[in-house]
Amino acid sequence: MAFFRALHAEALKLRRTLAFRVIFVLPFLVALLQFFIVLRTKKFPAGFRLWETIGTNSLQIWAVFMMPLLIALVTALLNGIEHSDKLWKHLFALPVPRQSVYLSKFVVAQSLMLVSTFVLAVLVIVVGIASTYLKPDLANPGPIPYLWFAKQAAFVWLASWLIIAIHTWISMRWSGFPIALGAGIGGTFFALFAASASLGKYYPWLLPMNIFIEGRLAVALALGIGGGIVAALLGCFEFVRRDVA
Amino acid sequence: MENCLIETRGLTRRFGHQLAVNNLNLSVPAAGVYGFLGPNGAGKTTAIRMLLGLIRPNAGEVRLFGQPLKANHLSLMRRVGALVESPSLYPHLTGRENLEVTRRLLGSPRELIDVALDIIKLKKDAGRRVREYSLGMRQRLGLALALLNKPELLILDEPTNGLDPAGIHEMRDLIRRLPEEFGVTVFLSSHLLSEVEQIAGHIGIIHEGSLLFQGPLAELQQKQQTKLTVGVKQLEQAINCLANAGWTVKRVDELLNVSAKTPEDAVRINNLLVDQRLEVFHLSLSQGSLEDIFLTLTNGQMARSAA
Repeated sequence: MAFFRALHAEALKLRRTLAFRVIFVLPFLVALLQFFIVLRTKKFPAGFRLWETIGTNSLQIWAVFMMPLLIALVTALLNGIEHSDKLWKHLFALPVPRQSVYLSKFVVAQSLMLVSTFVLAVLVIVVGIASTYLKPDLANPGPIPYLWFAKQAAFVWLASWLIIAIHTWISMRWSGFPIALGAGIGGTFFALFAASASLGKYYPWLLPMNIFIEGRLAVALALGIGGGIVAALLGCFEFVRRDVA
Repeated sequence: MENCLIETRGLTRRFGHQLAVNNLNLSVPAAGVYGFLGPNGAGKTTAIRMLLGLIRPNAGEVRLFGQPLKANHLSLMRRVGALVESPSLYPHLTGRENLEVTRRLLGSPRELIDVALDIIKLKKDAGRRVREYSLGMRQRLGLALALLNKPELLILDEPTNGLDPAGIHEMRDLIRRLPEEFGVTVFLSSHLLSEVEQIAGHIGIIHEGSLLFQGPLAELQQKQQTKLTVGVKQLEQAINCLANAGWTVKRVDELLNVSAKTPEDAVRINNLLVDQRLEVFHLSLSQGSLEDIFLTLTNGQMARSAA
């Protein structure tokens, strides 16, 4: 099937790209930050739940700030390689439906964010294990809740589909970083204000964060997944009808 | 024309108010090389983009292999290879990986990569990253990409643009071999007649979006006119003398172009001048170059005033 052939081709294009490296670097930075937070904390309250605390803390930093920017960066990098040498004209003169090229780009961006989010979850667990040795009052944190980590990471990722779809379209539509990163920074910046508003419930750049807010989980997941799919299809619909310069 | 691989009818495309391609009727026969000629900005690339379905025409229709392109884009593109303007390559991948990306998209067998590399003679450098490639190597790799689906029709847009003389020579040899060895029909655009006349059997000339000539190269060559160039010391007297005798004379620098067609005409004109005791030091009968025809067709006004 053409879509899987396109996906297979995308996988090869990732080789030696910055996009494939940066998805490991940013989770590492967040985990490192988390490590220092634990290290600098003088006293932990009684009944301190190590795993849930560092897990939620890291994933929130990730969801509200790092992830949206990483999405902007990764999609701009992924599509930048097509814009830089005018590869669209080559791709679209091949007997391959344009839709499969577009949607494979979306799926690759999704996959990279999935990897990145789970890398963060794993690194945070490593930070937790390290803390049990470095901090005597954290010596017995209880068993690692792997399932809880997996679920939280998966929720954050699912809620980010809409952002991924928006940025996939932006970075396909316009070449160069300024527009893609401008949209990412703008979207993240307004999230700071939208967070306190009731409409923040529906604001795309807040959806990954909303899974941690009581009463917003269902909307975050529904809008993230459903909106993501709809936005990807709309973007695809617009893109395949364009003239190729 | 029977058995046309490319046929366009009334193909028209505007960009804003500018008419890039105007009512273009191309007929490209199967086999051999078709040279699509025109000065820069004549509408060649726009026409080619429409042939490949990259942009849509405002009016008119493209038919490839006798079928309308619009309704059969995917199935027709399976039979077409294309290199539009500069080759589209991933600089961070090696030559072989670039071919592999396109091969995966096409779903063609792995062996075709080596076949293509053999044709363009790039096997030795296939493991190097494309960003280290010279322009000539990039262009050859672009050609290999176009060959990867074993096309019956190859559409090449200015494939020698920007290459040095050695690169141009190499590319031309490659293109010339394709119809003979692989049975591919090549549709080639260029702004250089000298380049196309060496390999193309059919020519189409486009200028300001419209087709000025289309037909076999031989037909174009028939339009070539012979001209007699005369060098004579007393220019003014010679012009008068020849004009009085009914010849059309044009002065080009210190020489005269006379509308003579045969060697007998040349003898007659020489005698005429010598009888008048004018001192003739140069007399040559030559074919006007194709370049002249090209210039006359594409820019009649200017060519005439320059002459």
